[in-house]
Amino acid sequence: MQAEQSARVISARRHAAADQPAEQAAERRAGARRSAPQGVPRAAFGLELCHSVLNRWPARLAAMLMATVLSGAALAWEPSKPVEIVVAAGAGGASDQMARMMQAAIQKNSLMKQPVVVSLKGAASGAEALMYMKSDPADAHRALIAYSLIYMLPLSAKIPFNWRELTPVSVVALDQLVLWVNAKQPYESVKAFADAARSSATPFKMGGTGSRREDHVLTAFLEKKTGARFAYLPYKSGGEAATQLVGDHIQANVNNPSENLEVWRAGQVRPLCVFDKERIAYKSAVTATQSWNDIPTCREQGVDVQYLMLRALFLPGKVGPDTTAFYVDLFHRVTQTAEYKDYMEKQALKPIYLTGNDMLKFLQDDEALNRDLMTEAGFVAK
Amino acid sequence: MEALGLLLYGFSVLLTWKTLALMLVGLVLGIFVGVLPGLGGPNGVAILLPLTFTMDPTSAIVMLSCIYWGALFGGAITSILFNIPGEAWSVATTFDGYPMAQQGRAAEALTAAFTSSFIGSLVAVLLITFLAPGIASFALQFGPPEFFAVYLLTFCSFVGLGREAKHKTLISMALGLLLSGVGMDTVSGQLRMTFGSADLLRGVNFLVAVIGLFGISEILLTMEERLALRGHSARISLRVVWKVWRELPRYWATLLRSSIIGCWLGITPGGAIAASFMGYNLAKRFSKDKESFGKGRIEGVFAPETAAHASGTSALLPMLALGIPGSGTAAILLGGLMVWGLNPGPLLFVEHKEFVWGLIASMYLGNVVGLVLVLSTVPLFAAVLRVPFAAIAPMIVVSCAIGAYAIQNAVFDIWLMVGFGVVGYVFKKIDIPLAPLTLALVLGNRAEDAFRLSMIGSAGDLRVFWSNGLVGSVTTLALVLLFWPLLSRVFERMRATPA
Amino acid sequence: MSQNEAGSEPLCSQSTVERVVLLLLLALAALLAYDNWRTGMSWDTDGPQAGYFPFYLSLILGAASLFGLIRQWVAHRAPEPTFVSRAAFRRVLQVFIPTLLFCFAMQWLGLYVASFLLVAGFMRWVGHIATWKSVLTAFVFSALMFVTFQIAFDVIMPKGPLEALFGL
Repeated sequence: MQAEQSARVISARRHAAADQPAEQAAERRAGARRSAPQGVPRAAFGLELCHSVLNRWPARLAAMLMATVLSGAALAWEPSKPVEIVVAAGAGGASDQMARMMQAAIQKNSLMKQPVVVSLKGAASGAEALMYMKSDPADAHRALIAYSLIYMLPLSAKIPFNWRELTPVSVVALDQLVLWVNAKQPYESVKAFADAARSSATPFKMGGTGSRREDHVLTAFLEKKTGARFAYLPYKSGGEAATQLVGDHIQANVNNPSENLEVWRAGQVRPLCVFDKERIAYKSAVTATQSWNDIPTCREQGVDVQYLMLRALFLPGKVGPDTTAFYVDLFHRVTQTAEYKDYMEKQALKPIYLTGNDMLKFLQDDEALNRDLMTEAGFVAK
Repeated sequence: MEALGLLLYGFSVLLTWKTLALMLVGLVLGIFVGVLPGLGGPNGVAILLPLTFTMDPTSAIVMLSCIYWGALFGGAITSILFNIPGEAWSVATTFDGYPMAQQGRAAEALTAAFTSSFIGSLVAVLLITFLAPGIASFALQFGPPEFFAVYLLTFCSFVGLGREAKHKTLISMALGLLLSGVGMDTVSGQLRMTFGSADLLRGVNFLVAVIGLFGISEILLTMEERLALRGHSARISLRVVWKVWRELPRYWATLLRSSIIGCWLGITPGGAIAASFMGYNLAKRFSKDKESFGKGRIEGVFAPETAAHASGTSALLPMLALGIPGSGTAAILLGGLMVWGLNPGPLLFVEHKEFVWGLIASMYLGNVVGLVLVLSTVPLFAAVLRVPFAAIAPMIVVSCAIGAYAIQNAVFDIWLMVGFGVVGYVFKKIDIPLAPLTLALVLGNRAEDAFRLSMIGSAGDLRVFWSNGLVGSVTTLALVLLFWPLLSRVFERMRATPA
Repeated sequence: MSQNEAGSEPLCSQSTVERVVLLLLLALAALLAYDNWRTGMSWDTDGPQAGYFPFYLSLILGAASLFGLIRQWVAHRAPEPTFVSRAAFRRVLQVFIPTLLFCFAMQWLGLYVASFLLVAGFMRWVGHIATWKSVLTAFVFSALMFVTFQIAFDVIMPKGPLEALFGL
């Protein structure tokens, strides 16, 4: 409540400044923030501080006057301090990459006056980030980049968390999962791979991120559909699983496209199939001979296993509706930027944009689906 | 030679006044964040990262790598002056660096730390320059058994070194291993030892523990013994620098050994943290005068710092070539690269040659400029010790609290830090060594994960640790080091009674 | 260590403290062993379970503590070394209690105000430094911290009513 009020004062001051000499100072205030990223000496900050203290009382007065004059829309909520994008994974992972892309997109296109800070909270397989989002339900300056862990962690590890305790903003993308093998292996299709795995004396090693999560679930379903046995090795990040595959320490992994992109381009790994009902849409060449679209679906290959992972944004549970509106708008504008579109194609993410009730509906269905998968795989903690 | 030509090209791009100025700014900022306990390496670099978004790629790289260098150099400063390590790899520097500062030799210790950092990273940069492609493929040979073997080697190089009673070392190490296991178990995805607490879910953060164990407990001890921070008599002049440098050749073996260990562990993805500990332990093991370690021996600063920086630098190689960061700070740099669409991976060296060589050239320059810069700040930092204890003590407490809080934005961590402060104080007084606890806290969890992944892969067969030449020799070496005291006694007896 | 101070009687002996610490560690070991036993501490087909290592580690911790306790019992060192003397302990508390108060205060007043109070108070009452010097130093220090963390680096620290008054 308090934070919101003071934020109102600040934004009102910006409007009030329109016909006052204080305008220059307000400009400088915004300018100082923007110039900070250019390595300019920070003397301007001192000024800013003095300014905000000295200008307090006139500003409050102006705010009161303005409140009666201006419509509600002009007083819309705006961040009053740096906004934290919370990543529920380690550095370099798909979520982290997405957060950095958003940070760059917001700052390069000046979508927001305050800077964006990416904070990595990947401890306890991402549970740290969930708990952090819950810890201060009224903090309007943090947003979580969520993925399937919001459904799976509470089931597998009995983490006291439910996505309904947060405020949904929007679903911005769906991430694919692909079955990869080392390029030195002879398998060109899922079938050949599964046959080899079935007849192998020691089970094939399958790498993935975390235990009892999407990668593990997919492995369990691959086992069911093909009759092969895999030894699932849970790594701390998809990047690690990719390196381990290139080093031939595991026979296969089920990474997101972004996690294996570079080693695929280098010809070190080979995609066998994508776990979706249709092929990835992007047709521009990624390697010398292949595009994302050239990867067959697992269903085409006779192994009907499907999974799509959501990438969505959430705010803490008790933020005001105008705060939510601000972030819905902000992230909508992010999805319109060139950086975002470029990123989606490069990382082979499936475009989707949902907000409001559509998003709620999607989350409910997706949660039910995830619960079924987890239950069937036997990963729900008793 | 192609490498040399490209490197010269890199230099030619970088040697302008503008880039040199950026370099200085980056270094100063880097040292600054390295010294501030709340920021440290990874946090500090993460915060400064947006500074570079609006620059052109070359300037941005120079700036970033200089921030990285600065943070590396800065980490040693608080370890030596206040016994508060800012990064995992600065912990071993406190063992001898802090006693030196207490004896009024802070300037000497700082000079030693900076110089050996310089040497360590220089060796590593040379290695990157000439062997980059080949080394990247070496790093690929590390699977779970190999990782476990390396961690085992680190632990084994440590056991049997302390002067303390064996059962106390055991207590310390077991406690550290247990604490590192608190939270979520990666391999099974289960929670353990959290007792339903949301705060324990995150696990015991290493830095929080270390700030308490070393920083807070040191304040308590100093107060008890009614000592001011002893640094008054420290004479600071260029002569100190000269004196330390003259001693350097005598420790060539230590420097070389630490550089090799550092480079080796640095290119092993994720192995960088073990380097400083192993460098220190081996220096101690091979020294004729083991007793003087931990009491302010300059070699005890040279060894871990050289290893830490060799590994910190060579950690950039797996990051560039494989996209796997070797340290927390390198991970943030990785994020920075991706912002410019430079995706680290095997093709980076092929597709963005000029970028890679520009970065390598900036490593050379940043390192040299950085050394000059930090050496010139030695008097300034050593002078901090002349501030009255009554003023500096509360400031250290505040800095520790900021540091503990900033890591995970959790008030709980401040209480945890105070708790560890008390534990550190009591343990020091009843001679339970803290070093095994910290080592176990950093590596325990990783070692366990690596072991269990190996077991899943081999279906529970322990022979996996001898399944190829690399893992077999590391494991054997570890076991030899573990039983070294016993073996050497057997050898001596054999020599005494010629059969 | 602290025996050199004249007229300060020992508060407690080294061995008493050691005994208490070892007992506490033993209790901790028992607690953790129980918790890990509950988690699962056997060797599964594909390697150890989540509680396997921690369980045996807590056994080791317990055994080592027990060994220490027994050794304490058996060996009676003639002159009991002092753990801490009364005077020294008072000095330790002089810094420890303000630290605790600071941690409490921080949660209500915010970090910057609490650190101002800690630095000023400690310098004035413990260090016996002139009031104006203490207050000035504390103010400059807190202000510097504020400018560095809050303004320059956007690291958000706990804040209290004073900062709210200024709309920060």
